[in-house]
Amino acid sequence: MNQRHPATASRPVRLRRRLLSCAMAAVAATGIMASGAIAQGFPSQPITMIVPWPPGGGSDIAMRLVADAASKRMGVPVVVVNRPGAGGTIGLKEMASSKPDGHTIAMVATGAVFAQYNNPNANALSDFEPIAFFGDDPVVLSVGAKTSIKTLADYLAAARANPGKLRNGNDQPGGSSHVAASLMERTLGVKINKIAYAGFAPTVQALLSGEIDSATVPAPDISQHHQSGAARSLAIAGTQRHFLLPDVPTFREQGIDFIAGTWRYIAAPRGTPPDRLAILEARLLETMRDKGFIEKARAAGFIVEPMNRADTARRLAAEDAAMYPVFLEAGLVRARQK
Amino acid sequence: MIELAGALLGNLAQGFGVAMTPVNLGLCLLGCLLGTLVGVLPGIGPTATVAMLMPITFYLEPTGALIMLAGVFYGSQYGGSTTAILVNLPGESSSVVTCLDGHAMARGGRAGAALAIAALASLFAGTVTTLAIAVGGPAIASVALLFQSPDYVAVMVLGLVAAIVLAHGSLVKAMAMIVLGVFIGLVGTDVTTGEQRYTFGIADLYDGVGFVPVAMGLFGLSEIMLNLESRARDGGLARLRDRLWPSRDDFRSATPATVRGTLLGIVLGILPGGGSTIPSFAAYSLEKKLARDPSRFGQGAVEGVAAPEAANNAGARAGFIPMLALGIPPNAIMALLVGAMMIHGIQPGPQIIAKQPELFWGLVVSMWIGNLMLVVLNLPLIGLWVRLIQMPYRYLFPAIIVFCCIGVYSLRNSMMEVVFMAVAGVAGYVLRKLGCEPAPLLLGLILGPMLEENFRRSLSVSGGDYMIFLQRPISASLLACAVLLLAFVLLPGVRRQRQRLRED
Repeated sequence: MNQRHPATASRPVRLRRRLLSCAMAAVAATGIMASGAIAQGFPSQPITMIVPWPPGGGSDIAMRLVADAASKRMGVPVVVVNRPGAGGTIGLKEMASSKPDGHTIAMVATGAVFAQYNNPNANALSDFEPIAFFGDDPVVLSVGAKTSIKTLADYLAAARANPGKLRNGNDQPGGSSHVAASLMERTLGVKINKIAYAGFAPTVQALLSGEIDSATVPAPDISQHHQSGAARSLAIAGTQRHFLLPDVPTFREQGIDFIAGTWRYIAAPRGTPPDRLAILEARLLETMRDKGFIEKARAAGFIVEPMNRADTARRLAAEDAAMYPVFLEAGLVRARQK
Repeated sequence: MIELAGALLGNLAQGFGVAMTPVNLGLCLLGCLLGTLVGVLPGIGPTATVAMLMPITFYLEPTGALIMLAGVFYGSQYGGSTTAILVNLPGESSSVVTCLDGHAMARGGRAGAALAIAALASLFAGTVTTLAIAVGGPAIASVALLFQSPDYVAVMVLGLVAAIVLAHGSLVKAMAMIVLGVFIGLVGTDVTTGEQRYTFGIADLYDGVGFVPVAMGLFGLSEIMLNLESRARDGGLARLRDRLWPSRDDFRSATPATVRGTLLGIVLGILPGGGSTIPSFAAYSLEKKLARDPSRFGQGAVEGVAAPEAANNAGARAGFIPMLALGIPPNAIMALLVGAMMIHGIQPGPQIIAKQPELFWGLVVSMWIGNLMLVVLNLPLIGLWVRLIQMPYRYLFPAIIVFCCIGVYSLRNSMMEVVFMAVAGVAGYVLRKLGCEPAPLLLGLILGPMLEENFRRSLSVSGGDYMIFLQRPISASLLACAVLLLAFVLLPGVRRQRQRLRED
């Protein structure tokens, strides 16, 4: 930190180095973007990446991998700061109200769509400028080994025969797994008994103990139990099969158009200059499209499917439109209306 | 049988091979040192520390990373008792109970004996639990799968009833404190419906009132206020009476308590949400129930230190069983360790012992080695700690407050937590002036939310049928125990005896 302080004597050296790298960048024709970045001096200080969830969880691991890899491409350290609490809204509020100069960014996940309608303190999604999409963590519909349900067709038959009787484990109303279960009810046209657990570990435990018939949790939480035979995964709500559960077909493969789960994207406060957003976007997309990065993320259980700003915005609008009726039906819309 | 023992020896040999490499030994020592340190520093808990160390594990080999992180966790269980005993400050939630008799012993000039008993009880519990993991890990883990929501309800009810015996003053006040704790536990987001309750629009209350700031305020800060009020002369906290080491009598009463605490810790530690806090409360209650003269508790009973310390160490380690054997983390810190494994592409779960034997056995053996390291680290420190509380209080208490604030702030990087601690400190002072004890309140705060969540879940599972609590054998028998215990406490004869004891 000290030897790089702008006020020290190393400034001319640094400038020369910068000019040099600028020229090299131009020669290498890596694009106007890169030389523009250097000309503007952005990023000129470490970038703070707020993760609004506690350390060690899926979001934290994913973002630490991104930050670690992005630091090399940004030329400045990308520092992860955990600001958990209130369903992610505390950390996001901090991001939204920080100086919009591109040096503070944050991870936004599915729950932010819900928070804006339910929580008067939460920011609206429009307070965040999307930079890049990280990927999806689709839910997997799984049943306990003790049930007689073997396939998605069996599940549908059982759910139709006993409306409201099949017990499904998920998180609390508004959480990504609960939203997924609610969307599943709508898509399949069935009614199930949604039992709330505080997190995926207790949900899986309840599935194994037979307290619930089925569960809608992400693939990394269930894959071991599917492989050991303690649970059976019937279908995954993603666009493609998950590498952790290669033998589990998607809903789409089985003729049902159902996509749900947790997704994550990286955002900056509203008002961040577009040229800086473009630099961040380019660097983050390079980072997340890197083969080595994808391998590392995959080993940790993540599907990386980066998207640019425009595509991320389109995806968000679609998710918002699909989820709103679910919140309305659950009586959880109270902070703002659509 | 012989075959089994042979296999176990083979596995342990493999484990020693992994754990004894210089790198892994070093990481184990580092973890234990850090753990002891964060345990001693009030408020800076193992969860925050493990979380901060996570990025480092990117660059370590997975077994070494786990060995170090595990060391931080169980190391903190050792260190946590130190401040509890010396200055009545629970460094971790699991050492709240240790405050009761541990600090009383220190006030009576027996701080050294209390610290030594705590360390030795921890050593015993750690060794037995590690052995239990090695011998019967997967088999023990399956017990956790027998428990469903109604059974948890019964466990909590039994816990709350047993908490009444925690109090050594008025029964009514103890019950009032438990209920108050349960009420404070209502604050936050309701898991069943997603509703906000009693949050008054304050975002920091959405996740409920944190346990650690409340515990540190109620115990630590209120203690400082009381001390400042009563101590006109500016002396040390406690004068050293006789010697540092526990007497033969101490060992005689501590040994059976340690054994019971260990067993209780293993059983309760493998249940989700169990961790190390509930076992320590349970062990204390049990000892007090079994004691010939329960009035000694709270006045510096050796069993009151040995049993909860054994229980919280056994519980802390037993949590590894469901995490390693089932892939289901029973508490936040185990969830962090699962995260650390996932970073390295290891999926914790039933196949881990077969697929990653060097990781599993290396970790188990390192836990035992770490145990020895901790005792070697901690016993010589006792003399130093005891001298620390003999320093003038006017130097000691500002330092305590500063450490408390740093620790509590670091929980969520939030100033609100510090405010909560300050409020709890004032509340604790008032309550203690009124003769109400904080321990039952804290138990209510831990058990209340879990009780409610499981109660409502039981009913949504059963479709609103209350019989679910009596239909399941586990919950039915535990509830029967609770009723018996309650009847026993409320029987006129027993009450009179309690009365007499109090007057003695």
